Amino acid sequence: MGKLERIAAQQDRAAGRGPSRRSFLLTAAGSAFLFGFARQGKAAQVYPQDAPATLKEATAFEPTIWCSIAPDGWVNVNIIRAEMGQHIGTALARIIADEMEADWNKVRITYVDTDPKWGLMVTGGSWSVWMTWDQFRQAGAAARTVMVEQGAKLLGVSPAACIARNGRVLAGSRSISYGDIVSRAHPTRTYTPDEMARLPLKPASERRLIGKDVKALDIPSKTNGTAIYGIDAKLDGMVYARPKLPPTRYGSKVVSVDDSEAKKVKGYIRHIVLEDPSDTVPGWVAVLASSYPAAIRATDALKVVWTPGKTANVTEHDILDYGRRQIANKTGGSRVFNDPGVDEAFAKATRVVEQTYTCSSVLHYQLEPVNALARQHDGKWEVHCGNQWQTLFLPVIAKALQVPETEVVMRSYLLGGGFGRRLNGDYAVPAALISKALGGKPVKLIFTRSDDALFDSIRSPSVQTVRAALGQDGAITAWQHHASAGWPTRVMASAFMEKGDDGKPYDQFAIAGADHWYDVGPMLVRALDNELAGETFRPGWLRSVSSGWTPWAHESFLDEIAHARKLDPVEYRLSLLDSKGRNAGSAPNSVGGASRQANVLKHLVEKCGYGKVSLPADTAIGIATTFGQERAMPTWTAGAVQVHVDRKTGVVTCQKIWLVLDAGTIIDPDGAAAQTEGGALWGLSMALFEGTEIVDGNVRDRNLNTYTPLRIADVPEMDVEFLPSTEKPMGLGEPGVTTIAPAVGNAIFNAVGVRLRHLPIRPADVLKALKEKGNA
Amino acid sequence: MVKFKLNGRDVSVDVPDDTPLLWALRDDLDLTGTKFGCGVGQCGACTVLVGGRATRSCITPLSSLEGADVTTIEGLDPNGKHAVQEAWKDIQVPQCGYCQSGQIMQAVSLLKDYPDPTDEEIDGVMGGSLCRCMTYVRIRKAIKKAAAALRKEEASNG
Amino acid sequence: MIKRLLAGAAAIGAVGGLGFLYYAWYPPIEPVDLPDRGSFSAEQVARGRIVAAEGYCAECHTRTDMGGGPELAGDYKMDTPFGAIYSSNITPDPETGIGNWSEEAFQRAMHLGVSRKGVHLIPAFPFDHFTKMTEQDVSDLYAYLMTRPAVHMTHRTNELPFPLSLRILQAGWKLLYFTPGVYKPDPRHDALWNRGAYLSEGNAHCGACHTPRDFMGAEKKSAPYDGAVVDNWIAPPLNEHNPTPTTWTENELFQYLRYGVAPLHGPAGGPMSPVPHRFLSTVPEEDVHAIAHYFADVDHAAEREKHDKAALARAMEQSRTDLIGPSVDPDAKLYQGACAACHYNAAPSPVLGRPDLALNNALWLDEPTNLYQVILHGLTAEEGQSGVAMPSFYNALSDHDMARIAAYLRRTRTTLPPWTDLEKKAAAVRKTITTIPVNSSH
Repeated sequence: MGKLERIAAQQDRAAGRGPSRRSFLLTAAGSAFLFGFARQGKAAQVYPQDAPATLKEATAFEPTIWCSIAPDGWVNVNIIRAEMGQHIGTALARIIADEMEADWNKVRITYVDTDPKWGLMVTGGSWSVWMTWDQFRQAGAAARTVMVEQGAKLLGVSPAACIARNGRVLAGSRSISYGDIVSRAHPTRTYTPDEMARLPLKPASERRLIGKDVKALDIPSKTNGTAIYGIDAKLDGMVYARPKLPPTRYGSKVVSVDDSEAKKVKGYIRHIVLEDPSDTVPGWVAVLASSYPAAIRATDALKVVWTPGKTANVTEHDILDYGRRQIANKTGGSRVFNDPGVDEAFAKATRVVEQTYTCSSVLHYQLEPVNALARQHDGKWEVHCGNQWQTLFLPVIAKALQVPETEVVMRSYLLGGGFGRRLNGDYAVPAALISKALGGKPVKLIFTRSDDALFDSIRSPSVQTVRAALGQDGAITAWQHHASAGWPTRVMASAFMEKGDDGKPYDQFAIAGADHWYDVGPMLVRALDNELAGETFRPGWLRSVSSGWTPWAHESFLDEIAHARKLDPVEYRLSLLDSKGRNAGSAPNSVGGASRQANVLKHLVEKCGYGKVSLPADTAIGIATTFGQERAMPTWTAGAVQVHVDRKTGVVTCQKIWLVLDAGTIIDPDGAAAQTEGGALWGLSMALFEGTEIVDGNVRDRNLNTYTPLRIADVPEMDVEFLPSTEKPMGLGEPGVTTIAPAVGNAIFNAVGVRLRHLPIRPADVLKALKEKGNA
Repeated sequence: MVKFKLNGRDVSVDVPDDTPLLWALRDDLDLTGTKFGCGVGQCGACTVLVGGRATRSCITPLSSLEGADVTTIEGLDPNGKHAVQEAWKDIQVPQCGYCQSGQIMQAVSLLKDYPDPTDEEIDGVMGGSLCRCMTYVRIRKAIKKAAAALRKEEASNG
Repeated sequence: MIKRLLAGAAAIGAVGGLGFLYYAWYPPIEPVDLPDRGSFSAEQVARGRIVAAEGYCAECHTRTDMGGGPELAGDYKMDTPFGAIYSSNITPDPETGIGNWSEEAFQRAMHLGVSRKGVHLIPAFPFDHFTKMTEQDVSDLYAYLMTRPAVHMTHRTNELPFPLSLRILQAGWKLLYFTPGVYKPDPRHDALWNRGAYLSEGNAHCGACHTPRDFMGAEKKSAPYDGAVVDNWIAPPLNEHNPTPTTWTENELFQYLRYGVAPLHGPAGGPMSPVPHRFLSTVPEEDVHAIAHYFADVDHAAEREKHDKAALARAMEQSRTDLIGPSVDPDAKLYQGACAACHYNAAPSPVLGRPDLALNNALWLDEPTNLYQVILHGLTAEEGQSGVAMPSFYNALSDHDMARIAAYLRRTRTTLPPWTDLEKKAAAVRKTITTIPVNSSH
């Protein structure tokens, strides 16, 4: 069972749901499931938009909960993942449609609301395709099998004489459409899960949709204003709310509220001091008004006195220092890799080298500020918002409302950017609480951008120390990687933490990436929870989580060792990617192991001409390689970055990015490229352009006046390539991020000979390093 | 009460004059294609056309629009098939899509001023439109494609 | 628009004596019955409308605060360091307006700055310019005003403290500064120039805003059109001291005055905006040409114009420098996010509707006042370029942010020394805005 499946099972147990709920029963249509969601406004999340709005459920054949075939031939695919730019519905529907031989022109997708029958609803970790791959192929195969059986009967031939193609069952020159089969045969065939798992799946050579270009079904709506995001949800009679945020994320207590000035704002209704049994939003005051502009102004005018929590004076420096002390302390933390022989190797080492790498806090700054619309309706609490992990936050909302989970439903909307921010559904809790205070009346809570930044679950600042024991010949004989950062998973989903070698739980999303595939002798990989970070803010999952910053340490460090030994950094890496031992890989996820990582690296080097092309002064290429997101689901990634360094100003200009990836089977090539391009530019943005820090317990930068993410003029030339593969598909939402920062750092070293060890790299840091080098 | 033209139709909105156009559009006129991003005129998600020019609606008060001609993403083309929209679909620019109404409106304005834009001109004008999914490579490509289509249209009309 | 109360204007206590009193004394002129509308010819009224427009009467004689007031009925509030004063009602209402004024009384007011009752008018009323108008023009204006709807409305009481409230003191001011007399054409110039000079020096009273004043509030004769501060804006120099890198040529001036936007110099904002939009767009085109022609001479356009090509090229280059390619300068990033989408231009020349800041007065003046004013207010669709609006950054940019933008633009778009105390000055300009233009968030 993979990590995700384990998480799902744990959640199901926690929620008292039996495993049968999640098995794939083939049932006839007519079950209580409804396709359309009654939703005011234009919010039905069905694509393409010109597909029939509702299928004729009563007569549709619903072989599994995942798809159905209507008498008119339209196939509906239910998508439980959040749509936040990955066009995930299109990719997943391609998997099911390919296996069932559906007519793609009659496939529609439905982004569903929460329901226990869906099992784990989470969209993150680049998992969606990887998690759904087997499930949807089996569901597709089941549907195809039934269509062929029933079609054969109607055509009066044996199933063996039939094939399925493009939504029809064919027998020689005769054929019948899936729609006609449903309307005439009313199929009701059911399978047990075991039977389903035994259904033969098509070989890769027979795939007709997977890997082919496709127009994403959600895109047209995103060019004409009809796409509906959480912030667009509307209900009759709703009022608007804006939060008045306390001075600290935790522990602030409201002393007094004075609304005399707020009352002068036309449209101001009232304020509410929130009581939150889930303790998600302690010390909050909400301001209600008849329009959002009125809520903005009234919130500014409302005067609240708080007793702040204990983190009111914490700075980024304090947090990084805390991390340094944790690392210096040999005990503490959790050991992810704890190979025997590390201590001995270090004791015997001819030389020990060590470096420390740090990263600043990073805001999500997803463009749609967090928001939620809540009300009580027909005995249920409805929360309308875009969200990435409904299964995690629905129980929190229920706890806040003090109602059973069965009385809460989360309605799905498009996300105006996820990047991990909406894995944390904390913003939905206050909306529900306000509605409860209003007796269930609909209330729309919108955060202004500064509110959103203050309340963000930022990417925690991190400190990492990497140590290598070197033998007489200079070769690495053992390896240590210590990483300290705030742990999002402990704060929000502690039950799902992994256990280290020493049995202590750790946040896999605050260490993944450090458990690399290089053969560097016995390894100690130690994850440390920076408690001061966790007390000061709510650490968040941010695109590529720790794999966005652990390679910054070890991929820089390997380069440093290679240069110190006067070895070519690429050759050096290739020599360590020997596919031995635990790095040999295993089916189905990591067939080939480290050899595939070596392979992408080799391709990359050929492509970018690293070491061969001659470049102008102070201009150079840097290389890094990773296994994408996590060891259990490796997307083999190699990245190269060409930079120019201006010695006078310290400005680093990224001129070109090359990426070569092996992500197994590619479902939607264009979507895969888009995700990788976007990821790479996120990587570049966090390397050179964006970052904030904690000042007085809060993030310093709250809007674009000082927060400066990459913009269009900063975009370098890009070259992204996927190596062909028929292996199981891995994820692509995040791997693009992972190599960029270390590749930039390595490129700067190659260009001007200085080594930067803090992200983001600012011109002042480069100048300082250049100066130090000049003086040395 | 401010009166102006919205997507070719006369409208008047009975909200305070200092209301930003953005919220009047979204909440009073039911046009939610225009988005709230930064609230300070620096991300471009709220971009609409006023008098044919790209304008940040989140900080433009209704009071400044008396008699003006406002176009939102919904009114750009009756069938959603403006050359820029077509190029956006062809190149598959949008990811999450949240910024794209603003990007499209800004691009329409760009192409009016620079019918055959260079990369520099694209960067200069589009630099105020933030895309967190980082679809920038495709935005550039789509703008050039739309420019070519518009020039062709122009030539056949002329 | 414009209304500078002459701060020291009334402070003339030192001047005295009988001779002065004799000089200062004007008899009242008897009230008359409201002239019959029919006594004015349609042609004369039509001519009067143009005269009224070219003198912007409605601008200072119509209330704008408290939700506005009826046109020409007065009560327009003018803030002075000594307290607010309010303009008079010039509709033909016999009791509260000028309905019982004879033409003789009206001519005397326009030419000598004395009311029908013989009271000296405060020189916020620019009779020092109107004195240059021909009797015919004043007569036409009278016809126009007397045929407007009468509005019964008194203005609020002036807040000038004693002794500044003593109108007799105005006479002393006149003695020192006022030269009555109709404009005399300058034979060295052609008719177009003379028409322009007549309008500009007289009815259009350009100097009232654009000429600096001395401590007594009188226009400095030694520095005509050198620029001055008006209503918390800077009325830029109209002479050779105008600092923009390209010349205000006759065409630039004409476009600006007629349509509110000049191809290179950009749109009219603030108190200047009504001049084109409300007034000069409604008068004969030749008159606007004449004014433009005249000021092209005042600013020595002919001599300066030859540098324009190089200046334009340099401005275009300055404009693009920090917007091309990756940037990590936080100020450039701020400008890129907040301003560049509308203000970016590519060579060879700015696009209409993309005012290029490198060419705009606002960056080249000695103080950032106008830049800040426009940032804070924005421009309505009725101001500047018609139909186009600039947002209000009042809530979007802090004083610190505005100071960063100002410093950045001054640094990258001009060849002048940096402005000083930018954040403090941003706060000061912000403080002058009493009604926040837009209810936006941060």
